[in-house]
Amino acid sequence: MPCENYKDALTEAAASGADPANALASNAKIAALRAHFESCASCRTAFAEEQALFISIDAGLHATANAEVPASLLPRVRAALGEAATPRRGWSANWLALGAVAATVVAIFAAYSVRRGSSFENPVSTAANTSTTKGVLPSPLGQILNPEPFASRSSAPHVRKVFSKNHASPETLASRNSLPQVLVPRDQEMLLVHYAGEWGRRKRAPLVAERAAEISLAPLEVAPIQIDQLDVKLLAEEKSQ
Amino acid sequence: MQELALIQPGGMARDEFLREAAQAEARREFEELLAECGPLAYRVARGVLRNSADAEDVAQEALLRAYRRFDRLRDRNRFRAWLVRIAFRLALDRLRSSKRREQRDTFWSHPAHQPPAATVEDLAVSNEFQARLDRALGELPEKLRLVLLLAAMEGHTIDEIAAIVGVSAGTVKSRIFHARKQLAEKLRCHAKTIKTR
Repeated sequence: MPCENYKDALTEAAASGADPANALASNAKIAALRAHFESCASCRTAFAEEQALFISIDAGLHATANAEVPASLLPRVRAALGEAATPRRGWSANWLALGAVAATVVAIFAAYSVRRGSSFENPVSTAANTSTTKGVLPSPLGQILNPEPFASRSSAPHVRKVFSKNHASPETLASRNSLPQVLVPRDQEMLLVHYAGEWGRRKRAPLVAERAAEISLAPLEVAPIQIDQLDVKLLAEEKSQ
Repeated sequence: MQELALIQPGGMARDEFLREAAQAEARREFEELLAECGPLAYRVARGVLRNSADAEDVAQEALLRAYRRFDRLRDRNRFRAWLVRIAFRLALDRLRSSKRREQRDTFWSHPAHQPPAATVEDLAVSNEFQARLDRALGELPEKLRLVLLLAAMEGHTIDEIAAIVGVSAGTVKSRIFHARKQLAEKLRCHAKTIKTR
């Protein structure tokens, strides 16, 4: 058979790293190639050249694929991670935020105007509102979770007047904003935050105080104490008995 | 001794706190993976780009992109495969859009960037062969190129490459075989030319 017929088998054998001299006879192509090599010196030489080519390719690939990593890579990435943690908002996001703030301010102003007008028109309802809030007591945790002062929610004019002084005081503002910090075990911080979130959402403290005012307690009845007369005997009499 | 944390329950909304805690946890987890997989991203990028500076830029971009989308990755064991694909894709994009290709070829022909050879003649032959090999590697189809690069990297078994690329081990072997064969066809003439000099 001419050498041309073994060309593909020769290349494939070299590419797969198989050595026809030591290959198993079970592979028909390799076995045929081995038989051909015994009688053809030029094909043996061609096969050796192919093997050398593949060795060069593998060596070159190894050099390319295992290049030394520059020492600056990881510090560069770590520095960039810090910036990536606080992504910049785009212009659209800024405009949205600005619009939301403006809408909130307008809504607050409108609500304040309506409320003020209604309090002038109907002072009786204002007094009733005040009486309903009288029984509600702020709890310490409630104050922590809701930094808004309890009395400022009341619409009573005298209360507003008292706290209007505090609004002018920077010390009071600072103390109101500086909420207490709590030291907790590392594994319990999530629990506390969950608890605080639930508490703040449900406003449990005022609800409990309101219910306490509604409960009617019956006067305590104590049965009169009965004391039997003491029977005192002399020691001498006891001994004689 | 028990570790304590200072928190302000009323000052921080619960959702905000949980989000920050999750971000901190993700950051810590990512930094652990960064040390392990950062070099892999660089080598994949360099295998495609054949330029250290570009490869470093692409590796950084790939790692940052992976970090930004880290929360979307449900199975963290797939991080290597995910990062390799990001780095490979970014490197290909960079290669296509690069206007400095000729400059890079000049850069690669510089002896300082080649492995040392025994003699001046060997050095020249080695440089020329390496340059042609890199060029031939760049002409391979993407699927074959990625598998061949991963196979040439130290410490990658066929099964690991299969897991990274997302194909069977048999497909990986087949791709490696065909890739090497195609490289040999491109380089055979050059090898014979060098031999006849």
